[in-house]
Amino acid sequence: MNKYFSTKMSIFVFATPALLLFTVFCVYPLVPEIWMSLQKHNGFQSLGFVGLDNYKAIFASSSFWTAHKNTYLIVGISLLLGIPLSMTLALFMEIQTPRLRRFFKSAAMFPAILSVTVVAQIWLAFYEPNWGLFNSILRAIGMDSWTHSWLTEKNTVMLSIGLTFLWQYIGLNAMLFYTGIKTIPKSYYEAALIDGANFAQVCMRITIPLLQNIIKYVLILSTLGSMAFYSHVRVMTAGGPGDKSRTVIYQMYYTAFDTSEFGKGTAIAVVFILECLLISFLIQRFVARDKLEF
Amino acid sequence: MKYISRIFWIALGCTFLFPLYWMISIALKSKSEAYENPFGIPSSWKWQNFSEALSKYNYFTYLENSLIYTLGTIAITLASGSMLAYCLSRMQWRFNSSALFYVSLGLIVPIEVVVIPLFQLIKLLHLKDSYWALILPYSGFAIASCVLMLYAFLRSLPKELEEAACIDGTNVYQAFFKIIFPIIMPALVTQCVLIFIRIWNEFPLAFIIASKDQFRPLTVGLLSFFVNVGVSDWGLIGATMFLSSLPMIIVYMIGNEKIENALTAGAILK
Amino acid sequence: MSKASKLKSATLLAAVLLVVSACGNNTDSGSNQVSDNSPAPAASTDNSAGNEKKIKMRVITITTDENRNKIMDEYIKPNIEKALPNLEVEFEPGGGGEDMANKLKTLNASDDMPDVFWNDAGYFTPLKSTGSIMDLTSAITADGYIDKYAVPDALKHVDGKIYSLSSGADTYFTPVIFYHKDMFEQAGVKVPTTFDEFMQVSKTLKSKDMVPAVTPGKDGWGPKLFMLQQMIQIGDPQAMADLVSNKTDFSNPSVKEGVARIEKMAKEGVFPEGISNLDYGPAMEMFTSKRAAMLMMFTWELPNLAKDDTVDFFPFPSASDKYDPAKVVQFWGSPLNGYAVSAKTEHPDEAVKLAEFLAMADALYFESTGAPISLKTGNAASEKSPLMQKFIDWYNPIPTKIASFALNSLDARTSAELSSQGANLLTGEYAADSFVTAMDKIWSENTWFDN
Repeated sequence: MNKYFSTKMSIFVFATPALLLFTVFCVYPLVPEIWMSLQKHNGFQSLGFVGLDNYKAIFASSSFWTAHKNTYLIVGISLLLGIPLSMTLALFMEIQTPRLRRFFKSAAMFPAILSVTVVAQIWLAFYEPNWGLFNSILRAIGMDSWTHSWLTEKNTVMLSIGLTFLWQYIGLNAMLFYTGIKTIPKSYYEAALIDGANFAQVCMRITIPLLQNIIKYVLILSTLGSMAFYSHVRVMTAGGPGDKSRTVIYQMYYTAFDTSEFGKGTAIAVVFILECLLISFLIQRFVARDKLEF
Repeated sequence: MKYISRIFWIALGCTFLFPLYWMISIALKSKSEAYENPFGIPSSWKWQNFSEALSKYNYFTYLENSLIYTLGTIAITLASGSMLAYCLSRMQWRFNSSALFYVSLGLIVPIEVVVIPLFQLIKLLHLKDSYWALILPYSGFAIASCVLMLYAFLRSLPKELEEAACIDGTNVYQAFFKIIFPIIMPALVTQCVLIFIRIWNEFPLAFIIASKDQFRPLTVGLLSFFVNVGVSDWGLIGATMFLSSLPMIIVYMIGNEKIENALTAGAILK
Repeated sequence: MSKASKLKSATLLAAVLLVVSACGNNTDSGSNQVSDNSPAPAASTDNSAGNEKKIKMRVITITTDENRNKIMDEYIKPNIEKALPNLEVEFEPGGGGEDMANKLKTLNASDDMPDVFWNDAGYFTPLKSTGSIMDLTSAITADGYIDKYAVPDALKHVDGKIYSLSSGADTYFTPVIFYHKDMFEQAGVKVPTTFDEFMQVSKTLKSKDMVPAVTPGKDGWGPKLFMLQQMIQIGDPQAMADLVSNKTDFSNPSVKEGVARIEKMAKEGVFPEGISNLDYGPAMEMFTSKRAAMLMMFTWELPNLAKDDTVDFFPFPSASDKYDPAKVVQFWGSPLNGYAVSAKTEHPDEAVKLAEFLAMADALYFESTGAPISLKTGNAASEKSPLMQKFIDWYNPIPTKIASFALNSLDARTSAELSSQGANLLTGEYAADSFVTAMDKIWSENTWFDN
């Protein structure tokens, strides 16, 4: 039957549209990008081939490294805080009453469906130093010394934006984990309970190991999602103060569009793609193991 | 103990819903009240904010654009993606595994980094002033995850499905549309939801490419509206934020369970 | 998904493949210029169909400050149909500041310039280097529009060409400190005449739980457009004039002192918390709602602020005897600021007419506020508010007017970097020395004066 269906014509018809779309709009742009990164370019025309000068220049710029620090801070927040927290939520969700669970499930995913522009604007009002929510609460409970100008102090700005990001997606991740938990056959738990294991032991020995696939999925999603972190910054601080809250993508846009140095901007993009490839490879290599079959 | 944990869960749930409350309450406040009483319940309900927002903000244009981008991307991605996934999982093609690997690279490259060349490509193809300028790149980038998920789904289906059709003398196209398409429907719905959420809220590419007002989706229209009103009239901002989020909120309220299932089905199949 | 739309998408993809393979060799965007310049057949159907159809024009202009919005609502939109019946004009909001600059740079890079746009020194260079901006000299000489200007030479850029048409109100814009008289009275403070007095006044206001002064700080707006210049100028006007004309650099001690004054203001609480992320709108709102006692702002807001009787203004107070506010002042105008026409427009004649109409709308508006303008409208001068009169009496006799640093000395990169560095200074966590070191390096790479 496979022979019968797999004519050259049918393969061509079925494979071409998607491969073409993918190649033209996802892969092809990398070619001019690399080419542009080797030139002095103002976005409109090349001002001469400069070899690796753009790369040297971006590595020598302190903003480039600030941007990396910020990007990896966001990645760190979403992996080290986001994943454990959402996993904890998911594990505890199982032992709640059905009504509470239904309420929580609908609430938790809500922020993820809102547009970034809206979420960022709302949090701008929370962080506003003079009348914003956080400072108002701190003042109301007499902790005036804890108030901050959250988005303009260099020590708090990135953490503040990171918290917004964490808040927006933690519920969604918890839901993903929770549904994974639901697919684990009940018999596994029953066996464990007969052995006299408590809740924590069940979680550690059964639930989490069996969730490997979903953990990996969320891990990749969170890592790549936070690597490309940009929109929140754009709306909340425009990268400021100075370059303190720029992420790599922001620095790329800034260099290309604000300073009209498209050669350097694309050089940042090329370096960044290599980083993404490397990180995906590491995840595939070290986190992903054999698939479990139930 | 049980009581405390219950309160904790309800409180946590409320923090996720707080923005909804805040958006609505600030939308009903006057300019001065928004500063004096930013987080409380509005003292007098100022519905004019909504009519003013509708008159100053091209809501319906942006809404229509967002719908066109989202639905267009879904249509193209699902059609071409399901065909490729079918080809890779069911047909004998010697490049099957390399094609699968090639497409999976698309998961890694974030759309944001290729904005500059993409922008020039769009210009080169004379797509600048059309909806294709965003639909085609969006589809190109959505194809990777769509193909991988449908591929996994199709692999789990028994081969005997088409064999009957084969005997009947049905050709491959009929088999695909009549037999496979209905079966992979659940997976398609899942992809549909995933793409919808992603494209509806996409910002960086739309910000650069859809620079003309008539082509802007809601996300970009909203930001330029904030910039234009100077971000000082929070009542007006709240009203536009609420209006912009409304379609998503409605979809979410109606299809809450379905969206949830779709998202998680996506996770499990990966 | 219907079969029809699938067919469509397949056809489209085939077309895409063809185009891409045809253009596959020239990945360099510069070489695409030629193909892009040929007007798309679809666009030209408008005029080939005869004169019945209106010519479409696209305009991008500033939309952030209240003056601009009033000009649009009260002078442009109600009159444009009558004045230019053959045109169908689409106005695209451009925002302001960096948003506007990025937008035009992006459109320019993609060869998608609007027919008429608000030009600004901040993004003029990239537009000029790509030949996207038209020299208007012959067009406005031919139709006599140039004769409406009191001083036509003032329209000329340093290269002798005319790129923009404005009302001329710009040259009367200068930064001052607006303040609420009643708030000063309440706090028992007087208008400061020296920088030290100003700091003292701020301290008193702050102790009375008032925000002393506010200005837009997001993206370093205030520091870049006037604060740096004012703070240098009040100590040493000559150093500032030298910096604008590239005769000195950031290592000049007077420049350093000026930067240190900004740091001092930021550190000692002259500004509200979060000033470096404060947008134009909220900054204005803070002052007009009397949550801040002073506002550092250009006089283009004077007509709007003058509506409140309690508002008055004073020039930036002096920090040394080298500076006298009656002898030297910063002026905003640049011949580059105004409505410009894209050199690539398909209808140059109509576009020039449109730009002329828009400049006249500006003039009519500013004239109605009592502001001085240099474009003759043919109307009798209107009544001036007392505050406007006070401003003109102070401003006109000043002998030395220093051009604005932000408009006349910075290329795109230096301008963007000065924005970030300026926002840094406003946080109060950034030392003046770091600012000077960073700017020194950026300044040495500034290409503005190269040609």
